[in-house]
Amino acid sequence: MSAAPAIEVDGLAFRYPGAAEDSLRGVDLTIERGDFTAVVGGNGSGKTTLCKAFNGLVPHYWSGAFEGAVRVMGHDTRDLSVAALSHLVGYVYQDFGNQLVRPTVRDEVAFAPVNFGLPDHARRVDEALEALGIAHLADRYTWQLSGGQQHLVALASVMALRPGAVVVDEPVAELDPARATGIYEALSDLNARWGTTVVVIEHHAEFVARYARSAVLMADGAPVWHLPVREAMERSEDLDRHGVPAPQIVRAVRELAPGAPAPLTVGEAAGLLGGRDDRTVPATEPPATEPGPAAALTAAAPPVAEMTGVGHGYREVDGSRTRVLDGVDLTLREGERVALVGGNGAGKSTLLRLLTGLTAPGTGTVAVDGADTRSVRPAELADRVCLLYQRPERMFLKASVREDVAMFPLGRGREGADAEVAEVLERVRLAAVADRDGRLLSGGQQRRATLAIGLATRPSLLLLDEPTSSLDTASRDAVVAMLDALAGTIRCTVVATHDMHLVAEWAQRVVVLDGGGIAADTDPAGLFGDRALMDAVGLVPPQIVRLGLEMGLRPPPLSVEELVERERGALAGKGGPWARDVKR
Amino acid sequence: MGTRREALTVEWVKLELLRTAYATRGGMLARRDPRFVIGWYLVFAVVPWLTHNITVLLGLFAVCAAAVVLSRVGPLVLGLFLLGFVLESLYVLFAAWFFDGDAATALALAELTLKLATVSLASMAAFVSLDPERLSDALLSLHAPAMLSFGVSYGFRMLPVLMEEFHTVVDGYRLRAAPPGPRGVLGWRVVLRTGTTVVNAFYPLILNTAKRTRTTVEALETKGFTYASEHPDGRRIRLAYLAADRWDVLLIAATLALVAACFGLGHHWPLYGTAG
Repeated sequence: MSAAPAIEVDGLAFRYPGAAEDSLRGVDLTIERGDFTAVVGGNGSGKTTLCKAFNGLVPHYWSGAFEGAVRVMGHDTRDLSVAALSHLVGYVYQDFGNQLVRPTVRDEVAFAPVNFGLPDHARRVDEALEALGIAHLADRYTWQLSGGQQHLVALASVMALRPGAVVVDEPVAELDPARATGIYEALSDLNARWGTTVVVIEHHAEFVARYARSAVLMADGAPVWHLPVREAMERSEDLDRHGVPAPQIVRAVRELAPGAPAPLTVGEAAGLLGGRDDRTVPATEPPATEPGPAAALTAAAPPVAEMTGVGHGYREVDGSRTRVLDGVDLTLREGERVALVGGNGAGKSTLLRLLTGLTAPGTGTVAVDGADTRSVRPAELADRVCLLYQRPERMFLKASVREDVAMFPLGRGREGADAEVAEVLERVRLAAVADRDGRLLSGGQQRRATLAIGLATRPSLLLLDEPTSSLDTASRDAVVAMLDALAGTIRCTVVATHDMHLVAEWAQRVVVLDGGGIAADTDPAGLFGDRALMDAVGLVPPQIVRLGLEMGLRPPPLSVEELVERERGALAGKGGPWARDVKR
Repeated sequence: MGTRREALTVEWVKLELLRTAYATRGGMLARRDPRFVIGWYLVFAVVPWLTHNITVLLGLFAVCAAAVVLSRVGPLVLGLFLLGFVLESLYVLFAAWFFDGDAATALALAELTLKLATVSLASMAAFVSLDPERLSDALLSLHAPAMLSFGVSYGFRMLPVLMEEFHTVVDGYRLRAAPPGPRGVLGWRVVLRTGTTVVNAFYPLILNTAKRTRTTVEALETKGFTYASEHPDGRRIRLAYLAADRWDVLLIAATLALVAACFGLGHHWPLYGTAG
């Protein structure tokens, strides 16, 4: 019995009822006990369906055409019920918030052990809470928790049944990178201490390289290969082709040291690239938080929005008051691309909301285009400011994307609204699906649909809350490209984000919120160069920035291309020992 | 001008509802065994309908009003109740006058108002004191169907989510729908607009929620919800913590004594709305 692998898939094919083609075809796969496996692949490659076959939801819950066999710890999934299988395999959903069914954390974690009438339920609950480091949250209501905490609760509630394996569907999709790192640390810990087999579905090769031991690449409903993680990272062409770009450090090492093995961590990459003794390391201090060239350039431009001495707070459910913003002074100017960064709860969303006039500040004034938000109704302010929410489905009010986009211009009785709507839909490449309900579109399409809604309002100030969260890399790049293209239409764009890649690629100005105030007002290089600041607000720079910093490049490079160019420049000047490997 | 108050009110209403639903203010009944609280509530939900004596009803009303104070009912729920109560009383007086009635007619109508008010007060005191878990466990313990007791706890769990979702949708309409024109006589356009928005908000709200529940249903299956409905062990463990102490017995005893006292008062100084 104990010799049986954790998960064994044999010639599995599955087709959802009513679907035109198989979602899984001829899957053969073995995951050994104690492994940490990442299932990677583009959208629609069958990753989630495969993982739902591990805990019997396919075929018990999703009854479709099922062929082949799945054995979990030696048991055929067709012989056991979903309830029985949950003792063998736990499952944490991508939308984990919806898998929490009870009001408090302790009750949620205890729910399954109590339902199954396990006599040692109390010990299991304490153990699971302890293992995931959330014992202090036991008596909180689940809806009071942050996303990262909710994810840990979902994981704890699954682990309370002590399954031998746990499947986690895209932890990064709904969490910021720092929280996602926390989840991965917790999973590694479970894997090491309890020997739990971990299977994660993941788009981000960075996390795969850092935490997984093996990787399965899925494409068109079948695994392309299942390899130890380093070998998997070496096959960056395969990964690229299937919508999972290799980590930045792998790409950089590929370019600069083609013969070297694929690095899994920034440290390894720095060792491969930076260990050369002939390199001069400019030991200059980072340019700290002084305004970068971009900020200086636009300083004279006319202001679009101004916040003066803004303070704002909320009352909590227990009656106490929480201060979110305190004495914030901020001027947003014509032509700026501003990234608003900071940890969870730093007040990013509150600041955006204040700019829309939906909320008036507790103290101080907010003015958009010279109009005080207190004296103008939000509906009138909406002509000048548009906020796109973090969750796109919250912006869909009508039965089709076209109606949603048309809502604003038609409501204001604009001339030629229909033509404008058609043009906007064309611009975000959604004309083909314009008559479908926005909720039924893919993540990337949904995000573009909200952009279309924003464009149709023709705002001076466009505000976006986490526009790239829960997108796979291809959809994400499309959204960033679209943001780039907006520059001509919109006077000032502000993006609240955790996505440091977006900050590096798109922003000119970075405003860092911390402790209710503005901790720094700088540019991307200035932000990433200031390690103390990044640590203080809990941000992790993109890999390539960290690699550049480790290699002593100041200011740090913001893209792989920049690092490669600068390194080649340095090598050409010095003629280092690896110079002959470099194709110029 | 109105923006600040308006925004504050939405936030405030949300918060008040949550505080009411989750019994965060504590109070006399919040510390009692939930089954006894339900029992207490049933006394006041039934007894008012057994008499026509207005003196008795006034006594019961006073007891429930005291319970509301001791249970620390929040201002929102209390305010809504008072508004309803005052409007209803005015209506009674108006109706009596309009139909050429006299004091007896007004009393007859007041009787019904008083009964409803007493039951409402009792409901407020009881349900403000029961947090979702305790309420659902009490129902389970009293052999209500498992689906009902789970439904109650799940409903409470979804309440904040739904309110958040609703707020977002309403904000969306406020910003993106045609801007409001003049307010109209007595602000009737504002009322119409608000009404239309609330109705329109229903469609996105339901669709977004429906999408969420698919995961929830799958998760329930893996957490052994169906299994528990077929095996009694889970129920026993879940309810093991429920234990009545002498204070709970005292609560019921005191309640019954007070009810008896009300009837005693009514016997001595009867006051009836109708001639019989």
